[in-house]
Amino acid sequence: MKRTLAVAISIALGFAVAPATAQTKNPGTFVFLWPDDIQSFDPAYIANTPSSYGVLNVYSRLLNYKGSEISEFVPAISTEVPSLENGLIKQAEDGSVSYTFPIRKDIHTHKVGIKGSDGKISWEYFDDLTAEQKSAIEPGYGEITPDDVRYSFLRAILMGQSWMSNAITEVVTAGKYTDITKWVETEGKIAEIGDATPELLRKVYDQLASQITVEGDKVVFKLPKAFPATLGVMALPFGTSIVDKEWVASVGGWDGSGDTWMKYYRPELGDDPLFDVENGTGPFMLEEWNRADRRITLKRFENYFMGPASLERVVMRTVPEWTTRRLQLLSGDADYVTAPIEFLDELAKTDGVKVVDGLPKVFGRGIFFGWPVDETDNPAIGSGKLDGKGIPPDFFADIDVRKGFNYAQNYDALLKQVLLGKTVQSRGPTVRGIMGYRPDSPVYSYDPKKAAEHFKKAFDGKLWETGFTMTAYVQEGTPQGTAALSALQQGLQRINPKFRLQIQSLPWASISDKLNNRAKPASALTYMGWGPDYSDPGGPLGAASYYLSPTGLVGGMVGQGYRDLMTEKFKPLLDEAWASSDPAVREPIYAKLQKMSYDYATTQFLWEDFGYIVTRSNVEGYVNNMILYGAWDFYPIKKNAE
Amino acid sequence: MLNYAFRRLLMLPVVMFALSLMIFGLQMSLTPTQRLAAYAPSPDFLKGGQDSIRRLIEQYGLNDPFYLQYGRWIGNILTGNLGWSETARQPVGTALTSLLPATLELVFIAFVPGLLLAIYLGSRAGIYLNRWQDHLIRFFTIFGWSFPVYVFGLLMLLIFYSVLDWFPPGRLSQWAQAVVTSRDFVRYTGANTIDSLLNGNLPVFFDSLRHLAAPVITLIYVNLANMTRVMRTSMLETLRQDYVRTARAKGLRRRVVELKHARRNALLPVVTIAGMELAYMMGGVVITETIFDYSGLGQFAAKSAANLDFPAILGFGLYFAVVLVVLNLVVDLIYPLLDPRVKTR
Repeated sequence: MKRTLAVAISIALGFAVAPATAQTKNPGTFVFLWPDDIQSFDPAYIANTPSSYGVLNVYSRLLNYKGSEISEFVPAISTEVPSLENGLIKQAEDGSVSYTFPIRKDIHTHKVGIKGSDGKISWEYFDDLTAEQKSAIEPGYGEITPDDVRYSFLRAILMGQSWMSNAITEVVTAGKYTDITKWVETEGKIAEIGDATPELLRKVYDQLASQITVEGDKVVFKLPKAFPATLGVMALPFGTSIVDKEWVASVGGWDGSGDTWMKYYRPELGDDPLFDVENGTGPFMLEEWNRADRRITLKRFENYFMGPASLERVVMRTVPEWTTRRLQLLSGDADYVTAPIEFLDELAKTDGVKVVDGLPKVFGRGIFFGWPVDETDNPAIGSGKLDGKGIPPDFFADIDVRKGFNYAQNYDALLKQVLLGKTVQSRGPTVRGIMGYRPDSPVYSYDPKKAAEHFKKAFDGKLWETGFTMTAYVQEGTPQGTAALSALQQGLQRINPKFRLQIQSLPWASISDKLNNRAKPASALTYMGWGPDYSDPGGPLGAASYYLSPTGLVGGMVGQGYRDLMTEKFKPLLDEAWASSDPAVREPIYAKLQKMSYDYATTQFLWEDFGYIVTRSNVEGYVNNMILYGAWDFYPIKKNAE
Repeated sequence: MLNYAFRRLLMLPVVMFALSLMIFGLQMSLTPTQRLAAYAPSPDFLKGGQDSIRRLIEQYGLNDPFYLQYGRWIGNILTGNLGWSETARQPVGTALTSLLPATLELVFIAFVPGLLLAIYLGSRAGIYLNRWQDHLIRFFTIFGWSFPVYVFGLLMLLIFYSVLDWFPPGRLSQWAQAVVTSRDFVRYTGANTIDSLLNGNLPVFFDSLRHLAAPVITLIYVNLANMTRVMRTSMLETLRQDYVRTARAKGLRRRVVELKHARRNALLPVVTIAGMELAYMMGGVVITETIFDYSGLGQFAAKSAANLDFPAILGFGLYFAVVLVVLNLVVDLIYPLLDPRVKTR
């Protein structure tokens, strides 16, 4: 009886499960589940990787990255990639450089302006138009022109909102100004941009506008001097995506006048008219953004100038709970899910699921030394003295302390046991694929003897006698970071039991509070990770500058002592490399900087981050571009029948 | 009665003011850089460097004194502006009103049958004290009570979604979602079950019920024990009352005595508990909503708190204060209906 019942239940369950797994669910629709969210659809506003997923797919740029290459480009709205060979990059005798972009014709936005019998313009979906309606399109209303390209760049720069859009300001001023705010304040010699007169604002606009000009069917960028990362910035989705001027004005955005731009400067997110609407030229259109349900639906643009995408729709949903995402992937309701690393091996063995692993990223992880730190009521440094119960505020100013810490870390164990052999040890600020990276450059390895030698020399031998107690910080929810600090903690204890490292996990807001907006940082040892925003190691957002410039991202967080070291030893070389546009001259300098970061033990460089994707096995076409941080370009994605 | 209700409602602004002052005071114990996390929730946002961070703090007035920031916020509230939620990427008021129908739909579909079931089971357990019915009901409800919600919810998902594919997570299937977002479908309330019926679309109605089934069963089962036990105890006490004995002595049928005379009076404590339970559920059932991928107020409130999204936290706090005060009032007004001896002064 029991046997019969068991067989009956098995058969019943088999029938119940069969329909869920045997057929492709939602054919033509790609269901993308992630725990993240998109901030805005305005290319001039967004500043982080998840937000780029929207803009990347609904807008187009002058150039695109060539597949997974990070230093090679293919034409998009520009018909050619500028180079010295094709004459579209020209260097003048005064050192200025011009980049010319020939603009492709007949590119339409998703919605175009049709003039009615009453003379009013209504915006209609281009895909829905009849031939007769197409003939009534008002010229320039939804047709990308060189003027639209120029307008898009001016708008992103003048809006001054996102640090990534501000990178374009650095391009056109060749690094003279970091953003439009600085430009206005410096030009007008005023403390606050809010104090600027209309004349000053107009003057800055004219200066800017004179550097981005329209010449026939071409747009020309005139840079005062070479900026090697120019094309890399142009191919990113941030700020460089092209919008239609007439449409932006019609929805309440900037009209392109040099006298009104201040009204649109740094808007609040909800006040930005392009925040939740789009009218791009990309392969997908924003069909719905239900922010209550945290669901974004993208619909295929049939008239995309490179041909329609294979997918009809993309549904992006924010699903914070991993188990729910996982079950939806297994049942075929989801085609892609963001998965925790510890489940990769199990998922790779699951029928119907595909795991692509070990995808490179330009992102380095490390433990950052800070000095001098805030000595007032700071639990991170205990007593604040070298008495075994704390550390002095300038503890890491001693190079022997930094080297001792670096030799006390067990990198091999971390790579094998924590990262499961999926990535490599980081060799410094520049990672694989970035100029200056050399696979044979020196790296630290776990060496208790050498660590002890350095610790015995530190503070004239006093450190070894007294020992220390300090607290290191890691963002909560980052088990790999906690593991790295634990490995360091154990390494230090083995070298000298008087070396006591405590580990504290904190929310990001608290970590940020210890490092930012302070005269002195409140953390002497912090696990973090940063990656560059274009493939060139130099310039304001390059890997070498981020880590090694006194005005770089890391320098801003880890204290004046670190910044002084960078100013004295690293900045001259950074400037020398940036002044040249010849890779043969620049590469050895960046390689030397990489080596110097080892010699001076500026940071404990741990490992290069890596990416992976988990999809249904019938999904094909994903291209991992590490400078885009693996952002999903849905255009080449195909969903085959299972 | 009306006077009483009016006076209770007048207390609402006072409660809301005290609550807002408390939450606002708590958030001011954080530094401006910590509070900036609401606008820069991930490290990516701070790549602009120290200048950018200082400007953001300036832009959002996070360095201003308490009274200025509070005054600004209260001023906005009085003009109907609850502020902007970075978590929801929309005004707090819009976020609350767009999420409320989903939570109400889930809560009422779970609450009403749950309450009726609890009353029924509690009464039976009281009537059949120490007999097999009582033991069975107690075992069944305590079993549910001892299950953490996330364990029971995940089990529900595993069995009814992963294995049987009956009750999927989310609010609608992809095809139904396409129908609901199409131009032909009119959104009357935001509740899928009601809107689909009003649009005459039965397939969407049934799809909506399919998606509601698992979270509703979870909510009913894990919340059943509390109310059932209160009902059972109350029933036991009522059955020992003199007037019940008198009714029996008068020769009334046992069923009439138990259901008409005893149960009605036994309901009083259950009404109190049920009011609190409903208020709690209307504040959002965070774990249930998260496990079943059901976007409602609970998920929103939890995410806002994790993001230190103060406008959203304050807005949600005010909403919850209204719910608590109103439901307490409703409970107070129900008492005299159940027991005429209870008078409102």
